[in-house]
Amino acid sequence: MIKFKINDIDVEAKQGWTVLETAREYGIDIPTLCHHPAVEPSGACRLCMVEMREGDWSKLVASCIFPVKEGLNIYTETPKVHNVRRWILEMLLASCPASPEIRELAQKHGVLTTRFEIHDPEQKCLICGLCQRACDEVVGASAISIVDRGVHKKVGAPFLQPIDICVSCGSCLTVCPTDAMKDLFDTVRLQPKTSLAQLA
Amino acid sequence: MNAIANQSIAKTGIFLCACGDEIAPRIDLDILKANLAGHADVVETLPNPCLKPGLDRIHDLVEAEGLNRIIVAGCDGRIMLKKFEKSLEPLGLLKGQIDMVNLKNHVAKVSSAGPEAKAAKAEKLIKAAVAEMKVLVPTENQAVEVDGPVALVGNGIGAFPTAQKLAKSGIECILPLDTADVDEIMGGVRSAYPGEYGQYDRMKKMIQDVMASDKVTVKDGLKMKNLLGITGDFTLEMEKEDGELESIEAGLVVAALDAQLLPPGPEFGYDGQSAMILPELDRNMAKTGIPKGEVVFWVSDYAYDTPEFAVLSAKAAWNTAKFIKNASPSTHITIVYHQDMALPLTAMERALARRLNVSWVSYDKAVRPTVQDGFLTFCTTTDHVETELKWDTLVLSPLRSIARETMDAAKNLGVVHDTSAFLGNHHTHVKPEMVGKDETYIVGSAYFPCDLQAVLNTGRKAGSNTYELIERSRHAELFAPRNIAVVDPEKCVGCGQCQEICDCSGIGMTQFPSSGLPRVVDPLLCTGGGTCSATCPYNAITLLNSTTAQREARVGALAQQLDAGEAACFACVWGGLPAADHVHRLNMTYDEGVHILSVPCVGQIDPSVMAKAFLEGAPGLLLMGCSPEQCHHSFGIDHAWSRVQLIKKLFTLCGFDRRRIALAHADLNRPEDFVKTSDAFTKQIREMGPIEMTQVNKDKLQAIYDMCKYNERIRTLLSVSLRRPMDEEYRGDQFHALSFDRDFNQAIEEEFDYPESALAAEDTAATTPAEAVVDEPAETAKSGEVHHA
Repeated sequence: MIKFKINDIDVEAKQGWTVLETAREYGIDIPTLCHHPAVEPSGACRLCMVEMREGDWSKLVASCIFPVKEGLNIYTETPKVHNVRRWILEMLLASCPASPEIRELAQKHGVLTTRFEIHDPEQKCLICGLCQRACDEVVGASAISIVDRGVHKKVGAPFLQPIDICVSCGSCLTVCPTDAMKDLFDTVRLQPKTSLAQLA
Repeated sequence: MNAIANQSIAKTGIFLCACGDEIAPRIDLDILKANLAGHADVVETLPNPCLKPGLDRIHDLVEAEGLNRIIVAGCDGRIMLKKFEKSLEPLGLLKGQIDMVNLKNHVAKVSSAGPEAKAAKAEKLIKAAVAEMKVLVPTENQAVEVDGPVALVGNGIGAFPTAQKLAKSGIECILPLDTADVDEIMGGVRSAYPGEYGQYDRMKKMIQDVMASDKVTVKDGLKMKNLLGITGDFTLEMEKEDGELESIEAGLVVAALDAQLLPPGPEFGYDGQSAMILPELDRNMAKTGIPKGEVVFWVSDYAYDTPEFAVLSAKAAWNTAKFIKNASPSTHITIVYHQDMALPLTAMERALARRLNVSWVSYDKAVRPTVQDGFLTFCTTTDHVETELKWDTLVLSPLRSIARETMDAAKNLGVVHDTSAFLGNHHTHVKPEMVGKDETYIVGSAYFPCDLQAVLNTGRKAGSNTYELIERSRHAELFAPRNIAVVDPEKCVGCGQCQEICDCSGIGMTQFPSSGLPRVVDPLLCTGGGTCSATCPYNAITLLNSTTAQREARVGALAQQLDAGEAACFACVWGGLPAADHVHRLNMTYDEGVHILSVPCVGQIDPSVMAKAFLEGAPGLLLMGCSPEQCHHSFGIDHAWSRVQLIKKLFTLCGFDRRRIALAHADLNRPEDFVKTSDAFTKQIREMGPIEMTQVNKDKLQAIYDMCKYNERIRTLLSVSLRRPMDEEYRGDQFHALSFDRDFNQAIEEEFDYPESALAAEDTAATTPAEAVVDEPAETAKSGEVHHA
């Protein structure tokens, strides 16, 4: 057993666990967005940042990909952590302002407005890549990719064309942290031959 | 069936997931745990069973308690089950021995009931899962042995790159051909893939190399008649020219099939002399030399309503134009194309076209070009003026289709089951591991029209895929999927119904003629759709690790616990289940009376399973499949419909309300539809109340169950009535749907073993139906019952 401390509480973990997994086992809340147990963690959204202290020196690490080690000193609710979390939430509020999930999360951490420029007020997707990882790792179809680079980065099928390698299983819909996939889904799968839209 | 001997007795572990604060506060897990205590060997609540700490704890308990059945009651099995399976495989627990119940999305987050009520609902679902696990007979992983030789049949050009690749890898190939004459074969290449002047020499050399290879056995003058057996052990029956039969044994079969190019109708001015299609131009050039004067290529695919092939024809025209210009610079060439077509030229090629003086002219799509003697008339896109283009030789695009004999070969090889368009359209996308599998088995333009380079590429790819398959088998790494159908040769009478309705061509024969001989299932082709198993009149087909017995046990156990007004719901993992899983995202709730059971395809639900639900006391049963025509197993939803109708007919016969069972559709991205459907259904069921479990009703339900499960005549009739959407003709004496339905009803009446208790009861109260009849509103029926009582 590996012994270390989270928020000054003694915890025990086994080789191969991450800090986040250990914290969850002990009921310590760390907010996450791009983490899903079905896929390997990727550390994309940085919301799970925690402070690691060694003596009078400290640094911030992403807890979802940080492996446990004997004698670690982890803090999840320090001013430093709160500060970075609020910055991230503020940026998320600007990049996906249409997502109620993000708004709720930000509100919970006291972030009500953003000082960053909002480019697309309809955007829900935070481009965490969870849908792509689920399609790769769980389904094995690789029908979703992150297309373009930099500020043009977005989620979609290769070349943004609906694609027949999508088996239309809905795994991406299930893992999406903001439900942005609901709108994107029909740009990935081939259109259904018949639809039940008349029920709407 | 090779059961895992020491695991046939279930030792079950139930792991309840608190899921942080997602499940625990909404469902009272302490009550749930206490109520489940006697029903499993281990019941434990974990904060997160899916994270490493939780998985480690499950590992410890599996090892300490010797558990061989695991039920995780947490969230979506569609996403999470694989992780548990992967993690527990080293401990000898295989797919099928681990199951999930979705507490989060089916119980916790979709109703406003209190934690105790939700715990009660969760208990019902988990107990049903436990009951299923009890009757599970887990099988060992079944290794599949595949070795050469590989037979490359169908006379397609794709056979050569495939054979080349395989021969290089040291795998024996058998190449049955119409003719072994290289020039004749090249003639075929030129007419199926015209204009590829840069490739023909390479192609010819490849054919010669393959023919000379000591790994390749060429058999000429053979026509394919039948394909028997399964992957790893095929027998090809070939007919020689003198009518004699020859059998070829092969481990794998690759179908190399080419599309045919035909001339268009007379309205395009086609005469085969001066107005011709591309392959004919090639032939003419060989005979009479390079054409002089004005040559006009009209890329006419848009006029044939096949715009998808325009680029292919344009490329062939461009290649031919380059060839002509090379030989005769004075010939003037124009290529006329539809304005919507993207020009398939690179910048370099555009420059080359200008240098060679080959002009590309687009025409206005509003006016179709007209062929006149010596002139092609069309409107330009720039000024809309009608332009006349003079021609001495007019070259049209060919019509692309599949020749009848190619289609026959495809049918014989089991790669298609109906005849429309190209073979690629018949691909069943079921589960990801099936995607791309057909690349291994079909090469050539009959799959989808393409150029020679693409055929060479797919051929080589098929070769390396086949080699990979054989290598995996040689290293004992090739296993059949866990959920495939197997035929019990003792029970199978060889009626062939399963083969008829199978959508994956996975069911085959071992001998020919086949009537009366048991069928076999190809483990590498079976997609586990299971409609064959639910169809078999003699219950001879079992879907491994997902049997009808398991489903009966699960729905039966659930039905016993259902209260008045509650319903069981089978939801398909491709439509109904994901729709239900996503309801919480919309912050919607639905009637908590719906109890969802996951099923890979509603088509695999045997009518006996539906009957079992009612026999055990379910007030209602809803089957929630994919949207119409979206079935991942092609016809599963249609087959389920027929089976539901059988139950409805029997209900009418017994005086139960037909509305107690219903088939519904859901699109996975429209969870709101799931809510509407399930609410409407439960409302009906709540109004109806339960089926009163009197002795008479019990006997009737038992008789319905017995008929669904054991009556071979009715099961046979049901199986022949399973229709594919494209079937237009009715067989036998039935001329239309209504006459068929009436005859089926009559057969049911003849066969139905009306219980004696019911007959006696009817004698005493001659007019009372057991329950509200179809169209009568529930209230009048009720008052009727009271009145008679």
